[in-house]
Amino acid sequence: MAKRLTTLSSRLVLIVLLIHAVLLPVLFLALSAVVKQNMADSFIDHARVQGRLLADGLELELDKSQSILVAHLDSAILGGRIVYATLQHGDDEITNSLMVSSDLTLFNEDFEFGEHGDQTYYLSLPIISATDMAMLHLGFDESLTQGDFENVQRSIVLIIVAYLLIVIVAMISLSATMTRPLNWLQRASRTIASGEYDRKLETDSNLLEIHNLTQDLERMRRNLVKVNARLRHAQRLESLGTLAGGVAHEFNNVLQPLLLYTDLALEDLPDDSPVVENMERILALANRAKGLSQQILTFGHIDEDAALEEQPFSPVVEEAIIMIRALLPATVDFRVEISAQVGLVRCDPTQIQQLVVNLCNNAYQALTTGDTHINVTLSRRSVDADLAARHPNLRAGEYVVLGVADTGRGMDAETIERIYEPFFTTQTVGEGTGLGLSVVHGIVRRHDGEILLTSEVGKGTQFQIYLPLVSSAGHNKHEQR
Amino acid sequence: MSKGDQMANILVIDDEKDVRVVLKEVLRRAGHDVTLAANGREGLEKLAADGADVVVTDVIMPGTNGVAMVQQIREAHPDMPIIVISGGGNVAPMDYEPGAISTSAYLASATIAGANRTLTKPFERQALVDAVQELLAE
Repeated sequence: MAKRLTTLSSRLVLIVLLIHAVLLPVLFLALSAVVKQNMADSFIDHARVQGRLLADGLELELDKSQSILVAHLDSAILGGRIVYATLQHGDDEITNSLMVSSDLTLFNEDFEFGEHGDQTYYLSLPIISATDMAMLHLGFDESLTQGDFENVQRSIVLIIVAYLLIVIVAMISLSATMTRPLNWLQRASRTIASGEYDRKLETDSNLLEIHNLTQDLERMRRNLVKVNARLRHAQRLESLGTLAGGVAHEFNNVLQPLLLYTDLALEDLPDDSPVVENMERILALANRAKGLSQQILTFGHIDEDAALEEQPFSPVVEEAIIMIRALLPATVDFRVEISAQVGLVRCDPTQIQQLVVNLCNNAYQALTTGDTHINVTLSRRSVDADLAARHPNLRAGEYVVLGVADTGRGMDAETIERIYEPFFTTQTVGEGTGLGLSVVHGIVRRHDGEILLTSEVGKGTQFQIYLPLVSSAGHNKHEQR
Repeated sequence: MSKGDQMANILVIDDEKDVRVVLKEVLRRAGHDVTLAANGREGLEKLAADGADVVVTDVIMPGTNGVAMVQQIREAHPDMPIIVISGGGNVAPMDYEPGAISTSAYLASATIAGANRTLTKPFERQALVDAVQELLAE
């Protein structure tokens, strides 16, 4: 029972019952008092009018015989409501002869209905004529009116009980209406909590609070879906990195003898041997394979020996830009806006330069013919709590932001989902290794940064690389989590 | 061999036969005598029996805890020059539980255990020859 009373609907019904338990008796008493007063006033008015009419009749008959006066009083008794009538005329006391009640002896004047508790209302009326005078005492029966009043009271009780029943039924129905969407939301929340994120939360309730609550929960669900997708993506890249690292280890064990045997064989061969050229090609290919293996390790950020060191970030990027200008065809519209002093970043300059080169190369590959360009920017930005909440690898604080944007082909959602996977490429087979962005991902992760990516098919792609800025005092400016 | 280079007896321990043999050839051409061992146990036995001037050993080999092996060599031969080599990448830990340990972590552990030099495969021929010479000269 105690548990049942913790539900919203049971509490609503209980509160309404408690309010009515206080109010209804008060209402009953007030109504009874009003009705009783009205009935009493009406009874007294009626009695006075009836008494006056009788008195007026007797006024003309005072000089008549006693038997005529008794007949008058008896006719009043027979008219109903009057239970006794006595006329005091001089020393005579003339009383009705019909339906004489032995216990009616008092001639006290009643001021109120129900006074003296004897079911009789006493009324005395003076009779004054030009020559004579007398006093008429009348007793009116209160029991009929009292009975009527009790009937009215019973009716009031019945109406109140009926009203209470209607209220209880209405409250149960109302609370069920109010709690139905809440119960639905509760079930939906439990479904989401159990890991099924696909169920959209919506309500047909027009109650503002429930409508708002549903919207808030739906917003939370959508965020959860996004965070979950991001987590799965990160886990997939993590496991791919681990797998790739394992493959690279075996690969390196094979490459070692391949490189050394080729080197030894070249040493053994006379310079004019026709085999030398082919052996040199084998050596070059083995070295290319070595480079690939190193890129895989960069993606998984495995085996990094160089420590990250605090250094001014702008010159590192500027050096990479010089390299890229040399690599890109002169026809490419390559725009650069670099803030001269963005500040210090803990980084491995070689890796940062590789990151810039890979991003620019990726942008170049995405360019189509026509009015297209690549735009590289470097600036500093404050990450607020809101942005940090949406990107788990960001914390509120100061960052440098390296932007690489192109107005090329752009990417669809499916491509975006997979671009950091090693060997995933949209290039024709043989054109790209599919490692460029995997390496970018590995480098950013190693530098405790985050990649923000926006892309639209046919319009272009923008990468924003956020890397944490170090304060001049050498302390990291970011909130510790 | 260039002038001033020392000749030495070198023990090469690696589970990969191709690596063992090519390292032997590289070191032989650098003027050294080379003994080969295919795993840690064999390496320790040969070291105990024949001794060596320098030990070149892989640090990740099936059935051998390379780091513990380096520690044993160092305890038995406090002055022995030890070069540890390993293929870059990562491998499952020795007890084969889920997860992976990068070889750089192994190399770092081996350095703490007493290795004098570390080389990550694939390395250049000259890198190994130079490392041996440097250790012999010290």
